[in-house]
Amino acid sequence: MSVSVLKSNGLPFQLRGLVARLYSTRKSEVSSSDPQKDTIRRYLYPPNIRNKASPTGTWRPDVARALQRAIPSVQAHETIERAWLLHQRHLRKKRDAELQRKFNCMRQAMQELEEIDSRLFREANKQEDPRARSLAEVEAMKKMSEPEKRAVESRVRGLFPRELRVPTDTPPKNGWPNEWRAFQRPLA
Amino acid sequence: MFSRIVLSSCKSAPKACLLRGLATEASAAPAALEVAQVDAAPLKKTAWPNLHTGIILNRSPIITRTPTAFEKAYHAYQARIHRALHNPFPYDFYFKQGSPLESRFNIEERRRERKAFGAPFGMQTGETSEAEKLAEATMRDEEEAMPRVHEADINSDFKNLHRRGQRNLYLILQKQENGMAVWKFPQGSVDRGELLHHAATRGLEVECGNNMDTWIVSRNPIGVFHPPSPASTGDAEDVVFFYKAHIMAGHVRPNRAHAQDFAWLTKGEIKTRVDEDYWLGIKDMLSDF
Repeated sequence: MSVSVLKSNGLPFQLRGLVARLYSTRKSEVSSSDPQKDTIRRYLYPPNIRNKASPTGTWRPDVARALQRAIPSVQAHETIERAWLLHQRHLRKKRDAELQRKFNCMRQAMQELEEIDSRLFREANKQEDPRARSLAEVEAMKKMSEPEKRAVESRVRGLFPRELRVPTDTPPKNGWPNEWRAFQRPLA
Repeated sequence: MFSRIVLSSCKSAPKACLLRGLATEASAAPAALEVAQVDAAPLKKTAWPNLHTGIILNRSPIITRTPTAFEKAYHAYQARIHRALHNPFPYDFYFKQGSPLESRFNIEERRRERKAFGAPFGMQTGETSEAEKLAEATMRDEEEAMPRVHEADINSDFKNLHRRGQRNLYLILQKQENGMAVWKFPQGSVDRGELLHHAATRGLEVECGNNMDTWIVSRNPIGVFHPPSPASTGDAEDVVFFYKAHIMAGHVRPNRAHAQDFAWLTKGEIKTRVDEDYWLGIKDMLSDF
């Protein structure tokens, strides 16, 4: 941070462009060619940081009164924090228990499948290669139209499909997509 | 990812496998499965079991969960603290001075201040009433968001996919079995030499039609169920392997020959409709919420 010690008029000509990186610059030196850049510069690097409470900016003028309204007391704040962490812990334990139950079901199924049929077991354990195309797929793709080919190629094996919608705060305006043309996807 | 873990196979007796694999509390489910397993164990060498694939077709949640009262209160509390302590907002970077957007922002910001801290905060100091009226007019003209509760919730329309937007819905079909109407997941048989996940896709298409965009998640089954076989011990037993699938578009059109009725239900609702031993076999595969 030795740059901050240099005064702007002591700089050689080549370094004049670096005036933005100085924390203490003379107001007259700051050019007003681009007001947006000036605003950004003013907010990122306030002119005098030594007498302000926080290094990147100030607190609001009535910060003490606002904090008094926001936080009831030290003990109350700590109690609230502990209650929240406990709540998060409960949620986490419930989620983990559910996942554990689901995994045990899967493990049970795979154990029984191995005992019943080893070929099916091997096939079920195969890793999906996203780029591989089975013979059936290649054969089927030859006779498809362009939109159908795109539909097949967009569904990558082993990855979640794009159509699986992320939940939002409010439902979509068009509701559930009712129109779906029957399309025979070739088996992998 | 799970496949590498389940490859570590258990070569010992089936009963030991069963007991070793269950890390959760003992419930009625392992007892029922255990009984079926013990009966089948000496006969496994003679009769090849009939394989079936069941499909758990899931409609994922459409909207986010409603926060509980405690969560809402905590979020509001943290927002108040942040509002008291945050660095000054560079409003003149985002809003051009004197523009209607700026006056609208000021009005909304004062409202938020009053809501967070109370009356003395967020009082305006001489703002023109025309700018305020203009800003309020623009706020009113904005589009309304869709409501989170659908009419399918009010009417309890179990065939509608908009019902219970926050929950995971599962498809069950009403089938005729030995003259009784039972509710089950869609099921298909496995042909000789056919892979299980192919059989699952085929079974779903046969039972529910192909007017929907479905995606079977993986090649692995997520669970297994042994239906109680009423016949003598000489026959091959039935084994149902369940596969998870998601529905993303379209609707179910059940095949009349296989199923009379269908419904999209949450986990709790499935429990009320399905037989007890079937429920014990499938409950751990479904999501709680």
